[in-house]
Amino acid sequence: MGEVMELNRGGPVPRDSDATDRVLFVRTSDMEIVNWDRSRIVEALVRETFLDRDTAERVAEAVDQMIHRSRIQVLTAPLIRELVDAKLIEMGLESARRMHTRLGMPLYDVEELLVAPNRENANVPHGPEATNLTLAENIKKEYALLAVFSQEVADAHMRGDLHLHDLGFIDRPYCSGQSLEYLKRFGLNLPNSLANARPAKHPEVLLAHMVKFSAALQSNFAGAIGWDAVNLFFAPYLEGLPDRDVEQLAQMLIFEYSQQAVARGGQAIFSDINLYWEVPKHFQDVPAIGPGGEYTGKTYGDYEKEAQRFLWKLFDVYAEGDASGRPFFFPKPLVHITEKFFQTEGHERFLHRICEVAAEKGNTYFVFDRGDTAKISECCRLAFKLEKSDLEDAKQPWRMRYSALQNVTLNLPRIAYRAGGDDTRLFQQLTERMELAAQAHLQKKAFIERLLSQGERGPLSLLTMNRDGQPYLRMHRVSYLLGMVGLNEMVKIHTGQELHGSEEAFRFGLKVIAHMKLTADKLARKHGMHFVLEQTPAESTAYRFAKLDLKYYSPAAGSAVRGDVARGEVYYTNSTQLHVGSPTNPVDRVRLEGLFHPLIEAGAITHLWLGEERPHPESLARFVMKIFRNTHNDQVAFSPEFTTCVACARTSRGLSETCPHCGSDEVEGITRITGYFTKISSWNKGKIGELHDRQRTAGYFSGAPSAGAGAAEA
Amino acid sequence: MTLFTKVGCGKCEYVKERVDLAALGVAVEELGPENPDALAHLAWHGLVNVAESNLPILVLEDSSYLTGAVQIRKYLEGLGGQAA
Ligand SMILES: [Zn+2]
Repeated sequence: MGEVMELNRGGPVPRDSDATDRVLFVRTSDMEIVNWDRSRIVEALVRETFLDRDTAERVAEAVDQMIHRSRIQVLTAPLIRELVDAKLIEMGLESARRMHTRLGMPLYDVEELLVAPNRENANVPHGPEATNLTLAENIKKEYALLAVFSQEVADAHMRGDLHLHDLGFIDRPYCSGQSLEYLKRFGLNLPNSLANARPAKHPEVLLAHMVKFSAALQSNFAGAIGWDAVNLFFAPYLEGLPDRDVEQLAQMLIFEYSQQAVARGGQAIFSDINLYWEVPKHFQDVPAIGPGGEYTGKTYGDYEKEAQRFLWKLFDVYAEGDASGRPFFFPKPLVHITEKFFQTEGHERFLHRICEVAAEKGNTYFVFDRGDTAKISECCRLAFKLEKSDLEDAKQPWRMRYSALQNVTLNLPRIAYRAGGDDTRLFQQLTERMELAAQAHLQKKAFIERLLSQGERGPLSLLTMNRDGQPYLRMHRVSYLLGMVGLNEMVKIHTGQELHGSEEAFRFGLKVIAHMKLTADKLARKHGMHFVLEQTPAESTAYRFAKLDLKYYSPAAGSAVRGDVARGEVYYTNSTQLHVGSPTNPVDRVRLEGLFHPLIEAGAITHLWLGEERPHPESLARFVMKIFRNTHNDQVAFSPEFTTCVACARTSRGLSETCPHCGSDEVEGITRITGYFTKISSWNKGKIGELHDRQRTAGYFSGAPSAGAGAAEA
Repeated sequence: MTLFTKVGCGKCEYVKERVDLAALGVAVEELGPENPDALAHLAWHGLVNVAESNLPILVLEDSSYLTGAVQIRKYLEGLGGQAA
């Protein structure tokens, strides 16, 4: 019934007149007014559902009579549709009713969204562009749950057995990782673009292409946009450039990404830049592309010094922070530490520098790529071991484009409530949930493939553009993420102890993740899809699961969820991590959490909450080296806390109620929510609860290296 | 001590055939798609990545480990574990 927009009774209406005597009008979606014709209901039912024409006629007739009997003055299209749907239910035609559903929002909610001040918090963008995004997301969410996923999958999401991430972005894959080589080789040459650009001749143009392409990708992916070996791939453009210009370029790069909050719905681009001090082995002998997309006649191995110069300048910018001295939220710098790192000249000085930045501003992510296996981090935490075909691709790095299609997260504590202490039931349910998550992935995959099948004329034209013999989105290389929330609470409910509580409890946690890993492998073989475990960042999922479990699994959930139940600040522990408040020292936390990491193929991380502590860089550097040598941890980040003042625009260490510089109480707290920095005022209640519980490192790294002994003993 | 092995691993069979593991009190963990316990045990010792290219692995009482079938055999034989 697409074109039936609104139905009015024409002309002035005498109070006592018989409505049926007057002509009824319909406003169509083409902004025309046409005569009411109930056959439009029939046409809509036949077009949108599987009803036969006779049944459709009977429904339309009944609705027609209802309208005429009602004496309603103004009828709207949603009301007509509701009347038709009510009639379908009355006649037992449930599947037709589902297909005929109208998606949208109540008038009240739309008005609240558009007109009222932002009550939720002051930080979530609330401008016209942001509300556009919210409106669209709401409809797409409903569409996803009704039309993309089966009822079984949708219900599991609604109940909170599992969480389907980014439903409001149902028509996009999850995240994307690529290298600058694509832009250097093909220019910025997008489908449906008004102007195409040839490969950049100057570094600042290459940067402009990178930023614009990131924004284009943000419009086609739900989550993170990652760039591989950014400092290395910029290097051929920097030869002969004075230091001042390289510095300027570094500053532009970081500011461009951190100020992209004018992009999609006012959201910054969730951007990762992967960085290397050494030239990664797999790029060492690869011919380098320089200005104008031309080969320079050298290999990337020859650009080590230029790449290092740029990298150093990038960290100078991170060290300084923004105009108010705040840390940059984006792009996230992921520094890869490989065996070759330690054989590369100057690594000690560089390690000291990035530890200094980690201590002062917290930006640095330390990514540990041990052994001979080449590895690249891509979008979000997605990391890949480079297999044979990838190493072949590495010779033409523009081909190295990776994506995860979707993330589905399991509510682990709920499985424990339902298992009632019985191991067999627990593992059986875990398997069943993973099978259901795999169904969710199959359904999303089918939907995305349907969109992709329309090629460059379809809605995902950017992802189908073919510049190098294969579509931009290489579906055969896509990963399907299976996440988990609350392993710690699952173990506590099931064994009585938290992960850090006893060896037995911890090893039970390992068994759960080992079971998940083997099940993911099995599902991968069965469906021919790359299912991998991921540590779900869970900014909102950990809160949502805890709330739903309190609703459905009390009283058991009352003592299992974390945070402050009375204030509604409840959460579960992220993924496989130890509880944020566990008294475990940083060394043990890194080591113990790291034991899970090799089972979690799509990347894992340990967070250390520095709080007010300002570690000694040398102490951090020694700690980082020990992590690389003595643990299996994949990635570590150190998170300081800051207070930034709206009144005097200065930033101070630690979280405080008033500005230590000017005394103003117009202050904002800043720290990492999970994988990125944000203002605390934008956090949901669950994360606020978590923030109260976080165990800070409290002086652990503060002393000089000898005094920061714990750090050295990892 | 624990010997981590896998179905279809020739080197693992080599050690199992030549050494009386039971007599030495060596527990055998056979990694496979149906054995999360063995994988969890492997992960506890931090050997998941090692096992990708190096089976069998012998984990000693002090949690250190040996790889290489011949080396493992020699070590165990040194403890008196020659098969009859
Ligand atoms: Zn101030």
